[in-house]
Order: sequence, then structure tokens, then C-alpha cells
Amino acid sequence: MKLKAFWRENNTLLTVLLILLALGVIGWSTMGTQPFVRTTLSGFTLSALYFMVAAGLTLVFGLMDVLNFSQGSMLMVGAYAGWQFYTNPTFLFGLAPLVFALMAGLAMMAVIHPWVAKWPIPESWQSRLRAGLIVLAVVVGVLAVVGVDFRGLASTAMVATMVAADPLAEATPQEPLASFWIRPVLLFLAGALIAMAQARPGDPTVVVHKDQSRRSAFLVGGLLLVTAIATLGREAAPIAVLSMNGNLRFVLALLAGTLVGAGLGAVIEMTLISPLYVRPLYQIIITMGLAFVISELIQLLWDPLPYAMSRPPAFSQPGKAENIWAFFRGGNTTVDILGVTFPSYRLFIIALGVLMFVALTLTLKYTRLGMIIRAGVQDREMVEALGINVKRIFTLVFSMGTGLAALGGIGAAPFVPVEPVMGDRYLMQGFITVVIGGMGSTTGAAIGALLLGLARAFGDYLALKFSLTPAISEASTVIIMALVLLVRPAGLLGRRD
Amino acid sequence: MTQSQDILLDVSAIHTFIGQFHILEGVSLQVQRNSITVLLGRNGAGKTTTLKSILGLTPPRQGRVLFDGRELQGKRAYDIAAMGIGYVPEHRAIFRNLSVGENLRIAERQKGDLDRKADFIFGLFPDLKRLYKLSGDHLSGGQQQMLAVARALVADNKLLLIDEPSEGLAPILIEQMMEAIRELSATLTVLLVEQNFLMASRLAQFYYIIDDGKSVHCGEMADLVHDEALIHRYLGASVRVEGGGQ
Repeated sequence: MKLKAFWRENNTLLTVLLILLALGVIGWSTMGTQPFVRTTLSGFTLSALYFMVAAGLTLVFGLMDVLNFSQGSMLMVGAYAGWQFYTNPTFLFGLAPLVFALMAGLAMMAVIHPWVAKWPIPESWQSRLRAGLIVLAVVVGVLAVVGVDFRGLASTAMVATMVAADPLAEATPQEPLASFWIRPVLLFLAGALIAMAQARPGDPTVVVHKDQSRRSAFLVGGLLLVTAIATLGREAAPIAVLSMNGNLRFVLALLAGTLVGAGLGAVIEMTLISPLYVRPLYQIIITMGLAFVISELIQLLWDPLPYAMSRPPAFSQPGKAENIWAFFRGGNTTVDILGVTFPSYRLFIIALGVLMFVALTLTLKYTRLGMIIRAGVQDREMVEALGINVKRIFTLVFSMGTGLAALGGIGAAPFVPVEPVMGDRYLMQGFITVVIGGMGSTTGAAIGALLLGLARAFGDYLALKFSLTPAISEASTVIIMALVLLVRPAGLLGRRD
Repeated sequence: MTQSQDILLDVSAIHTFIGQFHILEGVSLQVQRNSITVLLGRNGAGKTTTLKSILGLTPPRQGRVLFDGRELQGKRAYDIAAMGIGYVPEHRAIFRNLSVGENLRIAERQKGDLDRKADFIFGLFPDLKRLYKLSGDHLSGGQQQMLAVARALVADNKLLLIDEPSEGLAPILIEQMMEAIRELSATLTVLLVEQNFLMASRLAQFYYIIDDGKSVHCGEMADLVHDEALIHRYLGASVRVEGGGQ
């Protein structure tokens, strides 16, 4: 009885898994153990990467019907930020005080509001004042960064990777504090001017609660503190990071890449996406445009060259580990799995993908945020009517999605080239994954990623074996998508409504 | 006048547009504390839009809404709801992929709201306790309606906006729902939209009639019941069909 109900609720999922299992058995018996295991593991590695891009896509589409064409770029940004942090974080630490100062300024809205709301400004002048404030903010903002050698700072990373022998020696001198301090101050001012425009001086219809003002004041205080710390520690921090144990530095790089991706996502949602919820088509176009802009900016800062990030020490001791336990003790480059010599770092990627899936599933199922997301997928208006700020949830979910992609990017950096085209490559695969799995379903994205990754890996194997064109494995993903859509137009686990 | 003290919700001359359609063309109404007030009118007269306009889901373009002495216009729906307004929409809008318990818990505005209110809510709707773990899409219409009302009771609300609680329910369930709403009105204020004239007349103390997006008549329910001409003019057939059995 229970079994029957279980089958009814999960029949698609179980059918797909059974088909995969059957194909696996056939493959194992015809290919022989070693090629089969190697190909399967390669497939899983790809699956993990595809899932990391697709998870955010499907989450964001499910909740807010936004197709984020810049999701691939977020993976790329994560990769660059993480790689830069790992090899030479001077650039990031130089940038951090500026970013925090701007954020602190922008957060001033609710703090400024009680002060400016009562200004006696005639209605006809209010919009002019707002426009003037924004123009002033842009001028101040440009003044703040005038003369910063972004490109020079970024290129130090190249030197570090190319010379690589002693990254510490390459930690570049930075602008002295005596002249640098004015930059964060000006950026804070620029942010505050924008916040003042947002507070709509003289317009009493905008209501800000007292506790909101108080909370914002705390936020601004905290951000200013962080800005001050970042400003003072700007020179010491890169050296401290570079003299750190490589594994710890790698973990921090994962964190840094994720945070940069999540932060950028939040900014994108608040500034570009959220004004356009009434115009979905514009959202698609704006995220597409954003993908181009990000790719160009990255080429501007880092040149179009591909970079290779070195693996952290935990995965780079020479020699092969006899089994997975030996690897944990030895930190070898490769591990023996059922007679196959497999790069240990790729196992880490598979584990990261699985971990991400489990964490996401548990979050959706058991946390309040997850509950709100599941409810919002069905009926945003009702969620709002319960007193929940859906707008803020949107920002949060969007930033979660881009953060996950960025984590995927920095995770992938040690075994795929870090280059300006990596965004597009993974975006396409991510989209196909989501379409196969069903828009909005996390489990669907996992299944889609599994199918695609395995198809790519086995496609490559077959192409090599029968000396066919390798295009066959690239075509396989589209063929799978077409087949799935023929049977299930909404994708495997998509909503049928 | 001391009466203004007793008015929880004061809507004056609101105009609401949906897209380019001018749906509300001047609705004014006042709801007294701890009363049940019903909005009557034909289908498409603008009753549901009135509720949504109060809550800010379809913000009025003109006019003024005062709730508990505070102005609502310009505020976002979530802010308005958080000031103490519970909403039970038409068609219930139960979250189908959440369990009954989650449907209640999501309405918490402060941690522990549900635990504090659990006895009260399950006292009103004992069935929900039994169904607590069931998924929202397995509920019958009546159970959904109970859950929708219960959900609006989890947070500390002063006003409930209830849209067509009797819609699609069997007579015995309508009876239960009426009993529950009557019990609620001891501590809460209720603004109701109801097509079922019989139910409305037995439940509400005050009525407003909305016709063609305007509030055209108001008064005490006890008087309306005897005013055949008024009923016939604004409510027409719907009353005779549903109230005819009496």
C-alpha cells in the first residue's frame, strides 16, 4: 500500500533511475570494468558542474519566473574571484574597502529617510532633486575611483601564476593609506546620495518604520566597521592569505568566490531585475546583455587568456592512493577506484555537487526560507498577503542561485581553464539540464545533470572508440532534451499546469 | 464623535485600476471594531477588488484607507498585512505543496505565534489537528476553507478579510464555518464578502452594497433583510436562488 503510493508519487524519478541502471549494467558488461568506471566517474564530474549552474537557474525560475542568462557568467565570476584570491588576493583586498563603503552608503536609505521626508520641497521639484542627487552621486563615485589601477592590480595575479615559485614575492605594493582613505569615504558619500534619492526628500507618502531605521543604522554601522577594517588591513591581508596553509587558503577561496557571486547576484536582482518583474522579456534581454558585459569586463581586467589554477595541496601530493582512505591520509593527486586511476580532485567536485544537492533539498524541505520558497512558487500574492516581504525573498533566492554557480566556478577552476568563455559553455549546459529536469524542480535539475553528464562522458568514449567525431557527445545533450520533451513537454519533474 | 474611536477600518472613496480597467470607482466603507460587516453585490461588482485594495494587493490609485488610525496608501502589501490584517482569499489559496502544519507555520510573524495560538485554532477547527501532517493538495474543499481561515488566525491580526467563505461548501460545512466566524468576531473584526445572502444575513451586523465599482448603500443587516426592493435592485437573482430555500 505504502509502496504503491510511493511509486505513484515518484514514478518518473524511479523510471529514469531504472533506465540508467539498466544502461549501466549493459555498459559494464560490454565495456569492461575499467573503462566503464572511468567513464562513469568522468560523467559524474560533469554532472556535478552542470548541477551547480542549473540549481540556481531552476530555483530562480521556479520562484520568480526569471530566466537568468547571466548564470553562466556568475560561474565565471566565481572562478575568477576564487582563483584570484587563491593565487594573489591583492586585487580583491584592494577592491573590498571600496565595495563595502559603497554598500554602507546605499544602506543609509532608512536612516536618512526620517530626516529628509519632512523637507519642505514643492512636489514639482522633488523629481528634479532626485535626479540631481543621482547625477551628483555618479560624479562623486567616479572621483572616488579616479586613478585606481584596477588593471595593474589584476595583472599582478597573472604574474603570480606565471612565475608561481614564490607568490609572496609578487605581493604588489599598493597605494599608500595616506591617499587611499579618501576613496572609500567618497564612495560612501556616493552611496548615501543615491540612498537619499531613494528616500524621496519631501515626499511623505513613503513610510519607513522606526525599527526599520534602527536596523538600517546597525547595518550601516557594521558595514562602516568592515570598511575600516578592510581599509586598514588592505596591505597586510594579502600577505597573510598568501602565507597561509594552501588548503585553508583554498577553502577561503571557495568562500570568497561564493560570496562575490552571491553579492553580485543580490546587486543585480535589486538594480536590474526587480524593476522589470512586469516585463519578463526585458529581464531575459537584460541578463543576456549582462552576460556580454561581464565577459568583456573580465577580458579587460585579465585579458582573454586562459589561466590554470593549481590544485590545493590536499589533492596534489605525487603518487596514487591505493584507496579512498589512503587518499585522505596522503592527499594524493590520483586515487585507485576499482582498478581505475582517477584524479582525486574530480572526486572532490562530485562530492561538492552531491553536498550542494543535499543541502539545497534539506533547506527547501525543513527551513522557513524553504517553506516560503515552496509556497511562493505556487502563489506569490498569498505569501505577500501573509505579511512576508516577497521582494526580499526574491533577492535572497537570486543571490543564493548565483552564489551556488560561483561556488561551482571556483570548484571547477583547478581542472578546467579559467577563461572568458567558460560562462557561455556552462550556461548552455545548465539550461538544457533545467529543461530536461523540469523548470523549477531541484531534484529534476539533479536528474537532468546526471543524464547530461553521463551522456557527455559516454558519448566521448564511444566517439573515441569508433573514431567518430567528438561532436556526437555534444549533440547527445540536445538529443536527450528533444526526447525528454517529446515524452514530457514540461520536463521530467516539471509542474504540469 | 465617540464613534470614530470604534472604527477600525475607514475606506474613503478609493479608485482602483487593474491594467487599464477602472474597477473601483469610489468605494467608501467603515468597519466597526468587533463587528462583522459584509460586502454584498453582484458578480463583478468589485467586492473582491475592494478587499485586495485594502490589503494593497491591488493598490488604489486614489482615495484613502485608514486602518487603526494609520494610513495604508503607499505601503506594500506585506507591510499592511503585518500591521494586523489577515486575508482569506477567494478559492482559499492553500499552498498545495506544503503540509497543513506548514501552511499554518508560514503565517507566523513572530517565532512561537503558532504555538501560542494552537489551542484556539484547533479549538475552532478540531479537524486540522488530525490533518496536521497531510499535504495541502490532499484536502477537501471544506478542509481547505478551514485551513485558510486558520492561517489568517496564526498571527496577531485585528482584522480579517474573508472572501466567499461559503463558496462550494456543503450546507453542513457552511453552518460550521458560520459558527467559527461568529466565534471569531468576539475578539476580532471581520469584513466579509459573501454571495450567499442567507449566510450573510445571519452572520453580519452591518452591510455595504457595492455595485459597478461604487459603494451604493449601507446600513444594518437587520433592516436590509426586510427591504425587498433594495435586495431586488442590487442583488437580484443571486438572493432568490440561494436564499429561496428559507
